[in-house]
Amino acid sequence: MITGKSTEVAEALQNPPSAAMHDWTAQLEAVACRHDRDSFMRIYDHFAPRVRRYLLGLGVGGALAEELTQEALLRVWQRAQQYDPGRSNPETWIFRIARNLHLDRVRREPAWRMAQEYLDDLDGAVDGQWPPGTESYAEEAIIHQAIQQLPGIQARVIRMSYFEAKSQQAIASELGVSLGTVKSHLRHAFLKLQAELTCKR
Amino acid sequence: MQAVNPRHHLGEATLLSYAAGALPAALAIVATTHSSMCMACRRQLRMAERIGGGLIALQHEAAPPAGAREAMLARLDACASSAAPALGSFEDAAAVGPDTLPVPLHPYFGRSLAGLPWRWMAAGMQGIRAGIGEGTLLMLRVAPGEGIPMHGHHGSEFTCVLQGAYDDEFGRFSAGDLAELGTDDRHRPVMASDMPCICIVGLDGDLHCEGCSPQALQPLFVA
Ligand SMILES: [Zn+2]
Repeated sequence: MITGKSTEVAEALQNPPSAAMHDWTAQLEAVACRHDRDSFMRIYDHFAPRVRRYLLGLGVGGALAEELTQEALLRVWQRAQQYDPGRSNPETWIFRIARNLHLDRVRREPAWRMAQEYLDDLDGAVDGQWPPGTESYAEEAIIHQAIQQLPGIQARVIRMSYFEAKSQQAIASELGVSLGTVKSHLRHAFLKLQAELTCKR
Repeated sequence: MQAVNPRHHLGEATLLSYAAGALPAALAIVATTHSSMCMACRRQLRMAERIGGGLIALQHEAAPPAGAREAMLARLDACASSAAPALGSFEDAAAVGPDTLPVPLHPYFGRSLAGLPWRWMAAGMQGIRAGIGEGTLLMLRVAPGEGIPMHGHHGSEFTCVLQGAYDDEFGRFSAGDLAELGTDDRHRPVMASDMPCICIVGLDGDLHCEGCSPQALQPLFVA
């Protein structure tokens, strides 16, 4: 039995998506170079419902979740020129914006965002890990498929970390296992996803 | 701080929790401090963030409330120039001197090791505790050759060495190195003999210590 989501990923892999639909890098470039509102609204229509779901899942209330969703997408509009395709794919860039907003505005860790900007600053421009020319949608499809193929328990601790922002200790308590067991699941998940991305690219 | 080449790094589980925004604040600050000195870990963090990107892209959609799209369009009009707000430059903050602290510690301890208000904590050990909302963040300065009694941990303890070095059951830890210790790890660090060892320590729980009086460690837990 295939879930709806893996069907979607499988289809995406079999039928390389048209650039207009899925090449978010190109859409971001259009926003950066031409302030192209249509491109931006395509990004908005695709990502805003996902950012909203992410924030709601973190326990942010409806009104605040909507406010932060808008703010996240507004940053996409304002900072598209700073988007560096050599450094991250569009979905990762947008994830970071949403995560940092949540830590800044909901968890009230004001130093976090400054620290992240500083870490980014250290490596300057493209550092060559993701060579230019790597199509971001191809890379995204690989990681989507790899996530779908994680064993159940690894997928669960990953989701509890990213979607519920639960500490390893909190996950251990909730699942009734040791901290070491949680670390081990997270470690194996990371190594597996890393191997998929470095081998198939 | 001068350029360093760390040999002890963030573990894979920590990379994931950090990228997820799920590491307790005290541990995250120590992890950021190490990453500011370690290109290898910065690269690994980007990998962990890609997982976050994949997860958010695979999310089910949450339907927008009525008028959300129109509200977004109105906000685009309000900043039609699409001008990117200038990012602050960190060049000043990172200006390197022998006593300059890593930039991620500036909000908690200021910019320099010089003139910090060290407090006596135990024989040969001084410390400063920073005010953070969650967990405990400490800077420690331990005299050359000094040992810290064998201790374990409730929860996790991250240590990043800023100056000097120490040895324990897990190896030698020098400037830039990160040590992750969990509930079951017990260690007895001994400082290198040539200079004081200055470390930043993050705890998400309490420290418990054998062979040292509770009074000696008490200042650790006073805000
Ligand atoms: Zn490292």
